[in-house]
Amino acid sequence: MELLKFKDTKCIPDVVHPYTSSLKNNSVPIVIDNGSYMARVGWATKAEPLLLYKNLIAKPRKERSKKDTFEIPQTPQLQVGNDIINIEAVRFQLKTQFDRNVVTHFEAQEHLFDYAFYHLGIDTDNSVNHPIVLTEAFLNPNTSRQLMSELLFECYAVPGITYGVDSLFSYHFSQANPQPNALLINLGYQTCHVIPVLNNKTVFENTRRLNIGGWNIVTFLHRILQLKYPAHAAAITLSRAEELLHSICAIAVDYREELKKWIDPVYYESNIKKIQLPYTSVANSSALTLEQQKERKKELARRLTEINARKREERLAEDQEKLRQLLEVQEIIEFGADQEEIERALGDCQAKNVLDLQKNILNLNMKIEKTKQKIIAANSVEEVDEPPVKQSKYSKMVFENENALQSFLENVKRMVDPYATFQRQDILNKKLARKQRKQDIFKRRTAAGQERMRIISQLARKEKGNDDFGLRDEDWDIYKTISKDGGDSDSEAENEKLLEFEEIIRTHEPSEMDEHTNPGETHQLHVGIERYRAPELIFKPYMAGCSEAGLSEVIGYVLSLFTPDEQSKLAKNVVLVGGLANLSGLRQRILVDLISIRPFKSEVNVTVMDNCSLSAWHGAKQFAQTDNFKKYLFTKKHFDEYGPEYFKIHVASNPYYPTPKDSCVEIDV
Amino acid sequence: MIYMIKMSSEELLKIDQKFLFKQSRFQTNKTTKKKLVWKGLKQIISSEKALPWPDDAVHYSSINAPPSFKPPEKFSDLSGLPAPYTDPQTRLRFANKDEYATIVDLPMDITAGYLALRGATSIVG
Repeated sequence: MELLKFKDTKCIPDVVHPYTSSLKNNSVPIVIDNGSYMARVGWATKAEPLLLYKNLIAKPRKERSKKDTFEIPQTPQLQVGNDIINIEAVRFQLKTQFDRNVVTHFEAQEHLFDYAFYHLGIDTDNSVNHPIVLTEAFLNPNTSRQLMSELLFECYAVPGITYGVDSLFSYHFSQANPQPNALLINLGYQTCHVIPVLNNKTVFENTRRLNIGGWNIVTFLHRILQLKYPAHAAAITLSRAEELLHSICAIAVDYREELKKWIDPVYYESNIKKIQLPYTSVANSSALTLEQQKERKKELARRLTEINARKREERLAEDQEKLRQLLEVQEIIEFGADQEEIERALGDCQAKNVLDLQKNILNLNMKIEKTKQKIIAANSVEEVDEPPVKQSKYSKMVFENENALQSFLENVKRMVDPYATFQRQDILNKKLARKQRKQDIFKRRTAAGQERMRIISQLARKEKGNDDFGLRDEDWDIYKTISKDGGDSDSEAENEKLLEFEEIIRTHEPSEMDEHTNPGETHQLHVGIERYRAPELIFKPYMAGCSEAGLSEVIGYVLSLFTPDEQSKLAKNVVLVGGLANLSGLRQRILVDLISIRPFKSEVNVTVMDNCSLSAWHGAKQFAQTDNFKKYLFTKKHFDEYGPEYFKIHVASNPYYPTPKDSCVEIDV
Repeated sequence: MIYMIKMSSEELLKIDQKFLFKQSRFQTNKTTKKKLVWKGLKQIISSEKALPWPDDAVHYSSINAPPSFKPPEKFSDLSGLPAPYTDPQTRLRFANKDEYATIVDLPMDITAGYLALRGATSIVG
């Protein structure tokens, strides 16, 4: 079985691209596909977008604790787009300008525009002198578009803007000969759209949006893996879940059939994907440490004896010096010095009289003798034989041969232990039964629980006259049976015995207790049904508690809004676009689901747009190069004249409904 | 300490000057309005709904997918297999007795996590 590994790809910071004079002087349009997952930015004259970055900024919060020490606030280390090398490191600081698929947070949008224009190399003063082609959400609310126009005109002083819907740009302009009728299915990061197009006109009123997208799949996968492996919850990150979605996830053509296959353990074994999480192997060297411990102990003992020897020698020298002084005093006395001198000498050596002095000398002599003997003794026993290693008492048991050991172990594990009344398995069984009883007692509708209730109610019953409860000692046992522990708790003796047995087994069969010799194995994710389960969310939103209909059902619903004639026109040309469209199996699945809801023998075609995640940019680019592009440009003049929410409509744009004037139009930000 | 402050203020200047193409007026405006609170999508939608629109107007909020008309299938919370059973204690769905044995020993936070994932945290549901 092949072991997969996480790539953990890091973002590569973008370079500042050269701003050539041909770009500068011809006011080449800048094409921005502003998707809720990624932005693609480039010049309309180039074949491919120059910048691809996730629409994210990481803004560290101001540290409150440092506020007092610093008067000038430190510049926040703002990271934008591909500046964020490791997303997981700043996961909690991430911000996006999107709320679902609509831009609402324009401060973040400003930072991301700064990033885009800066890396395109624009260096003109106070303006970005290029028309902008910008994608927006399907039926983007006027408020959002108005704020976007304000930002682009007032902050960057762009000459003009054209807004369009990503999937419509993609369909109408990124392919050579688009058919006039199509059912577009746009699978995005936050939402999925089913967009009918008849005679090159988008049927807005019959479009439906499913509020489930790639993001929901990624978080769902992330969470089920975390719950499956709680020990590795921190190692299973959102970026890794995203990587799994792109690398191994697929749409099951028939989800029920797929599940049935997975019930078979053989199929499971041969189709499961094992993914290795990074881990650091713990140096498993208990034998070595035992040796080291011995060595260290020896070293310690040696040092201790050394210290003791030095101390003894010091004491000896001290005592000898004292003795010498005392002897001197004695000599002085013996030579018959005058009284005054004797008294002073005695005072010096802290003795009251001559008798005391003599006693002191005797004591010192004895002390010196003792110390000397000790030194000799210590030197002679230089090689202190170390104390016998404390062994667990079970390893001391000696067996005649391997067989005897084996049978003994078997006995310990099973019931027939000749030494003890308790057996391991027995104890374990008892414990389990007790646990079960304890659980049952607190559940309603179990025999144990009802019995307990019955006893309690009987005890509480007050009957005058014949209350002889307590006359016999056994009466009191009833309280044991209704106690929390349900009669008998795990007894101390049993627990001890169990520990003992486990100790025995561990000493003789170390592998029995911890089987995982390879530490990497415990750090593996086994991804089986999850591969199909997570993407299935698009078709079964109820799996994540969402009451919306699944994608196939929505497609059926949208088709049902048309006449049979129109329905067949749409079903003939179903086109999948958006980042998720190239999930393997998706085309097949939608085809199968469509055939099942279409009349017998009617024509159904499902195609996936080429290069589906970049096709919106390519479409918008083609649009910017058409001759009519200037006509559709919404300029600063229009902005001043018609108001900030005005824009020009075209084949790939949203419809324009001016916000009704008679009520409060004030947009307070 | 003083050096560091100097550094940071220089960096501040550098960052401000980095984007030549921006209108300086817009930036200064922004610094005065220190606290900007952006409306969320929900707020935008609800204020949009309150307006008297012409009858033919289609809005962001009017193209939501319909609710599902099919009964939801039941899948095991643990494995994802079709689940005919529900544990009355934890409310988790399970497919076979092995899964039940796992469920019984699951700690509270895990069972709660599974329920939250399925959106089945409400007591009545």
